[in-house]
Amino acid sequence: MWSLTRPDASSDDPVLIGDDRVTGASEDVLAAGVSLGMARREAEALAPFATVLVRDVGDEARRFEPVVEVIEDLVPRVEVVAPGLVFVLIAGAVNYYGGEEALAGRVARELDGVFGHLRGGDALLGIADGPFAARWAAAAAIVGEPQVITDTIGFLSRLDLVTLRESIGGEELIDTFRWLGVSTLGDIVRLPREALATRFGNQGVTAHRLASGEDQFVNPRDVPADLAVDASFEDPLESLDAVAFAGRALAERVLDGLRRAGVAPHRVTIMAEAAHGPPRERVWRSADPFTERSLSDRVWWQLRAWVEAGGVPGGIVRLRIEPADLSGEGRQLGLLQDESSRIETERALVRAQALLGPERVLRGKPQGGRMPQERVAWSRWGEPEIPEERDPEAPWPGATPSPSPALVPPRLQPLEVEWDGGMPTRIRLGTRWEPVLTWSGPWRLSGRWWAGERDADRYQLVTSVGAFLCVVAEGRAFLAGVYD
Amino acid sequence: MPDSGVSLGIEAIEGATTASLLDLNEREEGYLKLQPGRVTELVGVPGSGLTRLGLSLLAPHSRLAPVVALDVRGWISPEAAWEVGVIAESLIVVRCDELHIWPKVAAALLEGVRALYAEVPVGARDQDLRRLAALARARKAAVAMRPLGQGLPTGVAHLRLRGLGATWEGADQGHGRLKRRRLMLEASGKGSAGVTRRFEVDDEGTDVMRVVSDVVVDQAGRVVG
Repeated sequence: MWSLTRPDASSDDPVLIGDDRVTGASEDVLAAGVSLGMARREAEALAPFATVLVRDVGDEARRFEPVVEVIEDLVPRVEVVAPGLVFVLIAGAVNYYGGEEALAGRVARELDGVFGHLRGGDALLGIADGPFAARWAAAAAIVGEPQVITDTIGFLSRLDLVTLRESIGGEELIDTFRWLGVSTLGDIVRLPREALATRFGNQGVTAHRLASGEDQFVNPRDVPADLAVDASFEDPLESLDAVAFAGRALAERVLDGLRRAGVAPHRVTIMAEAAHGPPRERVWRSADPFTERSLSDRVWWQLRAWVEAGGVPGGIVRLRIEPADLSGEGRQLGLLQDESSRIETERALVRAQALLGPERVLRGKPQGGRMPQERVAWSRWGEPEIPEERDPEAPWPGATPSPSPALVPPRLQPLEVEWDGGMPTRIRLGTRWEPVLTWSGPWRLSGRWWAGERDADRYQLVTSVGAFLCVVAEGRAFLAGVYD
Repeated sequence: MPDSGVSLGIEAIEGATTASLLDLNEREEGYLKLQPGRVTELVGVPGSGLTRLGLSLLAPHSRLAPVVALDVRGWISPEAAWEVGVIAESLIVVRCDELHIWPKVAAALLEGVRALYAEVPVGARDQDLRRLAALARARKAAVAMRPLGQGLPTGVAHLRLRGLGATWEGADQGHGRLKRRRLMLEASGKGSAGVTRRFEVDDEGTDVMRVVSDVVVDQAGRVVG
């Protein structure tokens, strides 16, 4: 982790940086009670003396690029998450440099050498098994002292729940955990994952996986070579506008190809070939699958960083994007489906689950049956679907014909019907009687006589206020559906 | 105004739930599309076909992302939604019959859901409904609201569709079965340019619903068709 400074702010001035949320602040502003991630308006109220600067992520990426290059010279595979935060796979480098602490010390020394002791000392280094643990190890590190975690599970178990905030996208679940007396990730691990899935859905499972140190991609899939896209330019791209346009088009192309394959990437490698210089390459990663917007942003930040830092002398003659770490979450997507909408919807549904409980956020699946009540197999959203009891493709002679009633009570409701010579004449709706204008039926519904079920008759009754599906069994009438 | 009850069975890619894109004028088609950031109010007595109509409005959105039906009565049937073109895997039904929590649930859904059909419970407060409409605008969510009590307060709905009545075909004194329903609707509000218009929607059960005619225009002096 690397603290980025703002060149347009004096080191003595109290400064607050952010868009809707605070992403940076000077020490005196933090001392006033402001915290990172806080709503900007709230922060402004707490620290009215601070100068507010709008965040420019592209510029942050440009200023962070030299830091990445220093690390990349030591360890080849660097993955940028955001300006200020990189993950480095160090399995091979540890052997080369003679241990984790030796490697961390070397990185710190190199940064000191390039940026000077004061700036180089800003680097916070954490080493652990997995990106989530490494990120919080870095946050717990002291300047100049890398935090090397040998017992990742033990380290995670002591972390506060607030560390989950970014990954599970909200405070509500954290508040609920606290209310239940769960205060650390270790407390979460001790809960059965199935119980968390039942009560909290996807969010609960994600929290349990992270707390258990399982934040690697569980189903990495190979990327067919043709899903990488590239573009060559006869006239080298030198202006930022031209680079931005080309980068956005390329990002759209790569995601378009992935959508056809039903997947979405969590990691991309962005490559640029300069007219007079060596090719450049950078890996970006994201916890959520990249969307068109998020990928376009990262391509733009990276290209801008290279162009403004003079890293592509003579302009860009070739661009390439290679996707990796494909998410199976995208497998169900159609051509027109939007991954970002899906993710936002899931978060909204998780919030609804937290308010209502999982048994009231449901999805239906067609299944066989003769009555409308039977033809939907319900399961809780976010949990494995319950297999249908009856084959929807099988013939169901005597099934209630379409159109189906739009309103179907979960259980048959008593209904008062007046008959005249076997023909329905009036039905009681609330306090008034409505004449039956016309009807169809009866259709016999033969029950499982061996199980003690009686036969019943079905009627479709049309009144001046709507049509109803009615079941008559043992001389009593029941409402089975409303054609609303 | 020509009667254009021709079922073209068009699989609209973006927007159209309801069939004929050739013969019908854009105004009528627009009434039966949920617009991002707008609230469409469906008002009428139970049994007038508005639940099925509301579910059909989710159909085009369900091809792009999950859609949600907020069910107050606990009676909404996904089978009817599937029949009018909603993708089965994309439909989530959220059941909430508690008045005090309903606004929170609706707001939570509007934060992330692209298209929402919401039954509004009896007794929902005007200020909550106005806040929800503002949230829908901010989040660009397409919303159909079906008040179970009185209509929505002024300013909430961009378009108001009132069910005036329905006529059924197919059932005849014990013979046949319900096959086809003609639902007469009245459109009003900003979404119909301040003009009250009446038109019919044809529902043949297994097909998508479609507009069949513009039957009456209330305002004198307005050009018809």
